[in-house]
Amino acid sequence: MEKVCADWPAKAFDEQLVSGKYWDEFAENTKAAATELIHAGTWQEAEQLLQGLVKDMEAKEILAVGGEENPRLGMMYQHLQSNGRTVYTDKFDIAEHAPQADLGISTAEFGVGESGSVCVDTASYESRVTGMLPPTHIVFLQADHMVKNIDTAFRVIAKVYKKGYMGFITGPSRTADIERVLSLGVHGPGRFIVIAVDEPAQRRA
Amino acid sequence: MAVKEKRNIRKEIHNKLDDNVMQGALAKFTSEYPMARLKAYANVDSIDDLRDDLRTMKRWAVDHIDALADEFQHSVEERGGKVFRAADGDEVKKILLQICEENGVQRIVKSKSMATEEIKLNGALENAGLHVRETDLGEWMLSVAGQKPSHMVMPAIHLNKEQCAGFFEQELHEEVPSDISYMIHTARRVLREEFLHADLGITGANFGIAENGAIGLVTNEGNARLVTTTPKIHVVLIGYEKLIPKVKDAAKILRLLPRNGTCQRMTSYMTMVSGPTPIIYKKDGKWVEENRKQYVILLDNGRLAAAKDPKMKQVYQCVRCASCLNVCPIWRMVGGHVYGHIYSGGIGAILTGLLGNMEAFSKFSDLCIGCRQCTTICPGEIPIPDLIDELRARYVKKYGLSMPEKTAFQHILTHRKVFHSLLRIGSVAQKPVQSGKFIRHLPLFFSGMTDGRSLPAIAAKPLRDRTEDLCKHNPKNPVMTAAFFSGCNMDFVFPDTGESVVKVLQDLNIAVTYPQEQTCCGKPVLGMGDRDTGKVIAKQNIEALEATGADVIISACPTCAETLERTYKELFKDDVQWRARAEAVAGKVREFTSFVAEQYKAQGRTLPQAERGSRITYHDSCHMRRGLGVWQQPRELIKMTGADFVEMKDSDRCCGMAGAFGVKYSEISKPILHDKLENIGNTKADTVAVACPACMMQIGGGLNQQNPSVRVKHVADILAECIAER
Ligand code: SF4
Repeated sequence: MEKVCADWPAKAFDEQLVSGKYWDEFAENTKAAATELIHAGTWQEAEQLLQGLVKDMEAKEILAVGGEENPRLGMMYQHLQSNGRTVYTDKFDIAEHAPQADLGISTAEFGVGESGSVCVDTASYESRVTGMLPPTHIVFLQADHMVKNIDTAFRVIAKVYKKGYMGFITGPSRTADIERVLSLGVHGPGRFIVIAVDEPAQRRA
Repeated sequence: MAVKEKRNIRKEIHNKLDDNVMQGALAKFTSEYPMARLKAYANVDSIDDLRDDLRTMKRWAVDHIDALADEFQHSVEERGGKVFRAADGDEVKKILLQICEENGVQRIVKSKSMATEEIKLNGALENAGLHVRETDLGEWMLSVAGQKPSHMVMPAIHLNKEQCAGFFEQELHEEVPSDISYMIHTARRVLREEFLHADLGITGANFGIAENGAIGLVTNEGNARLVTTTPKIHVVLIGYEKLIPKVKDAAKILRLLPRNGTCQRMTSYMTMVSGPTPIIYKKDGKWVEENRKQYVILLDNGRLAAAKDPKMKQVYQCVRCASCLNVCPIWRMVGGHVYGHIYSGGIGAILTGLLGNMEAFSKFSDLCIGCRQCTTICPGEIPIPDLIDELRARYVKKYGLSMPEKTAFQHILTHRKVFHSLLRIGSVAQKPVQSGKFIRHLPLFFSGMTDGRSLPAIAAKPLRDRTEDLCKHNPKNPVMTAAFFSGCNMDFVFPDTGESVVKVLQDLNIAVTYPQEQTCCGKPVLGMGDRDTGKVIAKQNIEALEATGADVIISACPTCAETLERTYKELFKDDVQWRARAEAVAGKVREFTSFVAEQYKAQGRTLPQAERGSRITYHDSCHMRRGLGVWQQPRELIKMTGADFVEMKDSDRCCGMAGAFGVKYSEISKPILHDKLENIGNTKADTVAVACPACMMQIGGGLNQQNPSVRVKHVADILAECIAER
């Protein structure tokens, strides 16, 4: 999958800037942004939580990216595939089924304490449609990959951002254009769920 | 081609004031905005540090704009994008139509871009037979309704849900209930089809990064993300003012823009696109992946000239958050449509002028009353009212003033004796002066005042005729001498307050002189942009004040103080001799309350607690609080009198007088005054203190009719009463 940076932790993260100590602020600010934040200790726990969510929302068609980079995630996607449920992980399949899919699952590089944003590297087409077209978007994130504020976020980004498509997501798609009444899910997902995992991801070498 | 629109701004204003839907929405929004904004900043150490950072970065950018544009172009092209530079809207249209033709484009989706509104792009594309859709919900509804956005961030804030439902029905030819959630989901369904079938997406940009050619887009709906994802071609229309040097500089914009614009710590989506990115689509029945085509059009349309203009280049500091509107007392009354063709509010007036429409600028630039509320909040720290003044002066220099104003300014105001005898005549027979059209723009002219506000009469004996007697009470061994610059209002309308000022100074063992040759400070003419007349008047005052040889020059009118202290220096910036004289005078000017508070402290003075038992609130004059930065001292003085001091809500919000404005646009001024009176009433105070004669006139006039049990007093009067108690 095309990315702005193939390995953010190795290439962009600087221990001075990226640290789990910004977690609390991140958690608080995601709430304000209407993000549903779920905290899992291990990947195994994360998988159970994901299974529960998918079951509750009765998702039939699922788009899922990021499984190649993270084998645990790849496995999870396989496990989701069962009784009438289809999980698309191939980019052409994703492109084809994106307009009708019920759920998109992808990954984020790090979180931002100050704003509750997650930084998403969406240089690939499939990662973008996965995050934008279905009514719900679930994002996996490592819980100690946090920066203090937008300023530090950009210091991290500046190290690797030479070309491509990326940015922040901070809560679901929203509008207040009619009478300033807040409504979710206008063009993008109406639900935005972040599953933050403590256990480090085993990246493919 | 469209006929040049002939506008009747006055009529438009009346319509807006009568639009209850809009009035309700704006009142609610503007009252909630300040707190919501501060809440968004609660986890930031210093907002002003962020503002300083942003300004510094943007200043650097404008000073290096040509190099920055070259670097940006190079970065985009290096990555496979194509860059055009367009001198104006016509060129943009030509380029775009060419792109559409070359690529067989039929359907276009757009994500909010003010620049495309600025050059009226949609019409041109539609005329060429292209199918174009706005995708921001508000913009889409407005485009369906054939209306323009009334706010840069909340385009449809002037509408209610019933009106919106009407537009939905009109577009979709189906019944649409005025249920917000139903409408949102309908929009999602309808626009989703547009995204999926568009050949080309057009976006604006919140910033463009020279270092890597990325453009940044900030949205909540996510439409910009879709416009830059699904179509095979992406066209960016970006003004030169959006260029910034480095990737990390984007943070400087992003820490302020969402907080100020929508009171969020970050918008739902912040997206950056650097170079052409992949797209997957079906080609001849087979799925393929290739890079989309990216075209970037850099738009000039007056921007490059502004960049080279030492004053006007400050507009480059604007990040289009629209918060200057959100705090503008006039925008709150009239909404955004009354302003220029696209950009509204004070910054809108400036942009409209710079982007080539000085005629439109001149029509509504006087809707800025110079209250400076916007300057305290603008992320880019742009001195909006100063830039408006500058443009107005340029306009007047080029096209001149209208006849009645010319007569009043050049033939009456520059002749102090004529001016003052007219005012004296006014005190005898107020009628002819009131109806005399020629002086309606001066601060004393009451012709437009009607119900809801009483008029102060011109005093029988002006201050200038009382000072000889007053000065007889000067101390024998004064600690210093003070020249009293009263200003027209205190001289002819509130001479009693002028007497109070003299008494308080004398009580401080200061000898007071009143230079008889002083005249109007000139603010009314300067406000209209007539700097030539302003200079004639300024010279008279400088000479009169110099002649006194006094140690300090005291003004108890913040507008006069600001004009003497700041404006005169600027007025003579190209005249070495007069500049030096203006500076010498400016160095001595002191605003009354801050000076007195300082002297009390220095001399260890106390006051008899004469006001014990009374309840006093204080109204901040705009020029005093934001022009001079004085607001604590008058409060301290009031507390010293033993009075029970109580803050009113929004004490620093304009009372609606604002010099000639309150008269010229009394229909806007009165509702502003009404809010002020309500806030005063809610304090249950028996007295409202002010430190500005113009506010005293406005608030006093309003109270007289609407709440006569409350009195308005200048701080000088309150102090003088205490001294009498001694
Ligand atoms: S002038 Fe300042 S407050 Fe107004 S839109 Fe621009 S940045 Fe925002």
